[in-house]
Amino acid sequence: MTRLARNLFYTTVLVVLSSPLFIVAGVSVNEKKFMIFPPRGFSFRWFAEVFEKTKWSEPLTNSLIIAFSSSVIALTIALPIAYFLWRYRVNYAKALYAMGLMPFALPPVITALGMLFFWVELGHTGQIENIILGHSVFLVTLPMVMISLGLESIDREVIEAARTMGADDRRTFFTIILPLVRPYMVAGFAFVFVLSMNEFIISYFLGQYAVVTLPVKIFAQLRSGYSPVIASVAVMFMLLAIAVFGLIARFGDLPKLLGAWSPRE
Amino acid sequence: MTAETANGSESTEAVAQSGLAWQIKRHLPPGYAGLMLAIFFLVPFGIMVAISFSENIPSGLWIYSFELTHYARFFSPLFTTLLWVTIEFAFVAAIVSVAITFPFTYFLSRYRRRMQVISLVFVLCVLSLSEVIVAYSWSVMLSKPAGVSNLFVLLGFMEKTTSWSRGYWSVLIALTWFNLPLAVLIQYPNCSRLDREITEAAMTLGASPVRTFFTVVVPILQPTILTAFIILFVFTMGAFVTPTWLGRPEQWMYAVLIGDEALGRGNQPFASALAMFYLVVTTVLVLITVRLGRKTDRNLGA
Repeated sequence: MTRLARNLFYTTVLVVLSSPLFIVAGVSVNEKKFMIFPPRGFSFRWFAEVFEKTKWSEPLTNSLIIAFSSSVIALTIALPIAYFLWRYRVNYAKALYAMGLMPFALPPVITALGMLFFWVELGHTGQIENIILGHSVFLVTLPMVMISLGLESIDREVIEAARTMGADDRRTFFTIILPLVRPYMVAGFAFVFVLSMNEFIISYFLGQYAVVTLPVKIFAQLRSGYSPVIASVAVMFMLLAIAVFGLIARFGDLPKLLGAWSPRE
Repeated sequence: MTAETANGSESTEAVAQSGLAWQIKRHLPPGYAGLMLAIFFLVPFGIMVAISFSENIPSGLWIYSFELTHYARFFSPLFTTLLWVTIEFAFVAAIVSVAITFPFTYFLSRYRRRMQVISLVFVLCVLSLSEVIVAYSWSVMLSKPAGVSNLFVLLGFMEKTTSWSRGYWSVLIALTWFNLPLAVLIQYPNCSRLDREITEAAMTLGASPVRTFFTVVVPILQPTILTAFIILFVFTMGAFVTPTWLGRPEQWMYAVLIGDEALGRGNQPFASALAMFYLVVTTVLVLITVRLGRKTDRNLGA
């Protein structure tokens, strides 16, 4: 009885979590240009439009460029901080780590506003690199924490062994540490990529309508009127997320990445 | 502390390898990381603080000076009312989502590994969805031609389809829903680390599963629940798209106001002052919550 109640509750929450997604997916395959559920007819024409019309394909390209570049930059910032804290435990490494946590703790509007002023002061507004740098710094926390988790799980005896056999710091880093933390770096990259694709406020403040990302385009389109393409874009976002996180779960230890205690240790 | 003792031997070794060039090379990567964070995060924040005290030049510019006029403007009824609206939304959405997700996450952490992984992938997918897409999904959900009311009519719960779009309840429902996946991920680590033997012991002593949950699991994980509440509260305080798209101006939360001042009206000093004020209010509320949490902890201990 209690087990039944437990499973019932669990399923209900899952259904509630997925219901808006199902309705949007239904709306996206409507044949007519109206928003209606259950869908009437079936067609993929709104999906095709995302790639065919420049008003959608341009924001898509922008979002992809921004997501890819900011994931790379975020990793280059996160890795040295996490490595230095783990390897040397010096105070300034702790300070850097704390600084890396801050962007995530601050409300995004405040971060976005500060960054806007920064670029206004430099007279360099509405450029794609502003958004790239904004996302790299804003989302750096995730890869930093994940790489730290990965480093903590390395057995220090392995490092000692390498040392005894005559490997210097650099060699130990490239031949032992880097391969061991690579899965965590890949996961960190994927998280930044997906979250950057979906990020709205920073892109909206820094883009200044000169650089438009996909979420900003959806927002603008919502204001000017309904278009079924919005639903298909939303579905594409969900599929991207399912693909990325599904792959991480398939090839990595997802519960551990999310901080669970792993019974295999 | 084991890490530090391990480092003791390493640092003597570092001295042996020292040499200025090597030292500089070694500190280059973290130096670069620190510089990036300082230039693109700390400096912008500092500029914002400075602008909040500066003189406004209409059309989105400012002259650096020191005045408190922008801070004085908060005490107009419009801004105090909207501050309360923001706090109320954040408070209710955080409480409701924690109440739903705590048992959910606890059950999740007790399932077999495969089920856990599938659930986590699903939760991550929902979490990663843009606030824009979530707000859009809910406007579809609550709309007349495509929304849940169609389902209720189909099942015979309701006579006619209705529209609930735009207003207090739409905003509150969407904000709460938006919090759910994040709440699960925050509580998951500690839920999964809770030793099964503890609950099993309670059951062996004759406690029912429900009783075990409320008298053993909830008290042990109380700090986790409080942490989740605080993070969700801060997170919801910053909601931007949801109140803009699903609410009327009466439901405009603080982030919307800040965005409206900065991008719509071009009053940057006032937008910065609002941002500062909002940061201070959020910090104070979080500190109060943490303190209250400690107090209840001590009471439980006694």
